[in-house]
Amino acid sequence: MNIMKPSTDSPTARIKVLCAVGIVLMLVLAALSLMVGKYPLSLEKLFSGDKMHRRVFLTLRLSRTAVGLVGGFALGAAGFVYQTVFRNPLASPDIIGVSSGASAGAAAGILFLTGSAAVTASSFMGAVAAVALALGLAGLDRSAKKGTIVLAGIAVHSLAQTALMCLKLTADPERELSSIEYWIMGSLNGVSADAVYGNLIMCLLCLAALFFLSRQILLLAQEEGEARTLGVNVGLLRLIVLLIATLTVAGIISLTGLISFVGLLAPHGARMLSKNNRTGTMLLSGILGAVILLAADILARSAAKTELPVSIFTSLVGAPFLIALLARGRNGYGQL
Amino acid sequence: MASFDVNGLSAGYGEKNVIDGLSFSLESGRVCGILGANGSGKTTLIKSIAGIVRHDGECVLDGVKLERLGVRKLSRQIGYIPQRSGIGIDISVLDVVLMGFNPHLGLLEHPTEDMKNRALCALSAVGLGNAVQKNYMHMSEGQKQLCILARTLVTDGRLLLLDEPESALDFHFRYKMLNIIRNWVMKDDRFALVALHDPMLALNYCDELLLLKSGRKAGVLCPGRDSFEKMEEYLSQIYGSVSLASCVGRSGRRHIIMLNEGEDEK
Repeated sequence: MNIMKPSTDSPTARIKVLCAVGIVLMLVLAALSLMVGKYPLSLEKLFSGDKMHRRVFLTLRLSRTAVGLVGGFALGAAGFVYQTVFRNPLASPDIIGVSSGASAGAAAGILFLTGSAAVTASSFMGAVAAVALALGLAGLDRSAKKGTIVLAGIAVHSLAQTALMCLKLTADPERELSSIEYWIMGSLNGVSADAVYGNLIMCLLCLAALFFLSRQILLLAQEEGEARTLGVNVGLLRLIVLLIATLTVAGIISLTGLISFVGLLAPHGARMLSKNNRTGTMLLSGILGAVILLAADILARSAAKTELPVSIFTSLVGAPFLIALLARGRNGYGQL
Repeated sequence: MASFDVNGLSAGYGEKNVIDGLSFSLESGRVCGILGANGSGKTTLIKSIAGIVRHDGECVLDGVKLERLGVRKLSRQIGYIPQRSGIGIDISVLDVVLMGFNPHLGLLEHPTEDMKNRALCALSAVGLGNAVQKNYMHMSEGQKQLCILARTLVTDGRLLLLDEPESALDFHFRYKMLNIIRNWVMKDDRFALVALHDPMLALNYCDELLLLKSGRKAGVLCPGRDSFEKMEEYLSQIYGSVSLASCVGRSGRRHIIMLNEGEDEK
């Protein structure tokens, strides 16, 4: 029998090297993110116990960097899950209405509640309500087909957009409307230490669940009938996986506002580099997501005198990448 | 006692029944081919038994009604090969075969080293031993089909269901695949039900043939036992006027050839 044992390990070794390089890059950017900003920090003053330095570090930079790191990782890994489960290279959390739900929730929070923590909670509730509604509607069809989930997502997205428009109409144009628009543009600027850690812990738990289910997620990347004959309860598993992935994303965007392209860009980059779809590729996708978001956030706060929305930079990288992807015609799903 | 019986199976899409009250039995250790014109219900029959298409009636394997089994238990009993696999992502050939162990793994478990070795053996058996790390998406349709066959073999079910597996295969691979299936079925007294598009392949490689016409059983043939006259009569119901002839290859193996005797040949 001709068993080529050495070649069996080569993709794993490749992914390990890529992940190692990605982790180093991610940590360098995280360190940079801790130091860069309107109020530059120095290690010397930080360790000497300078009160202002310590305060800025603990209340602003640490939480902001943690959100950039975990948030980017979560968006990248969740994007990988969405694209695999829907077998669609353009699939993203928007497909089941999470972003629009979060936007409507945030707008309601800005109008009727006070404090950034309340807006975050309201946005999270909006995202979860949208997802619960979309998956609940899809669940009415017991087979829970992909097409049904997408259609339910479109319906919920439209509903949430309508709610958002109504809320905008009632908003004070001077103050509330601009806050809503700024939230929708996405930024890590408003992240405050008191509202961050609960969401981040939930995200980390959801990410752990996704990695534990990674083999099952791969089984969903084939025809429903075929997966069923391999012992996969397709409808139920798909609902569970999507719910976990969406909770991960909701936990992040309720803190940051909408962040474009990270969930699309990172999985494609990971697949192009690793040329595979293993668990390691999902990990690499998360690492790339963190690298992209941290880099974009550093640029957002240092490129101009005023802080810019982070989505400007993620889109600046994302749009050309998408065009390059179209030009190459290779995206890990055969032809686009 | 090894047995597989289908009793009064009816299935379809929407209001229309494609299969209508079909009953038949299979003998273990034998390969049964399903022949029928396009739209006769071959694929629907395979998918119904596989539990993909809802149906009335019952399929009984070794005394167990398949309809009563949950998804996981059913997947341990049957292996299914579609006309074309729906895998649409970059994935290695080895990873595709390892999917075949899913019915034997817990939700959070991963394939063991022993499973990986068995997957490598299955790939060697289908002639893909030197392609274990190749991208499944970059392989020819025939190679993909052999890869899915390897995946089905490691599943280790009692009943193998194949839906026109030869449609994507070239001449050489067709015979290779059916030989592998035959050996697999004979080894442990298993069952194989193969919907085939090519009647000559069916006549030469199947022990039994189930003939379908408009979702009903048009007859059962045993190519090694039945006379040419009987087989011509039954096959003509499906393919129009046909005649059978016999020839012997250089290896000494006897082959059956089917010739079209219809109006369009004159």
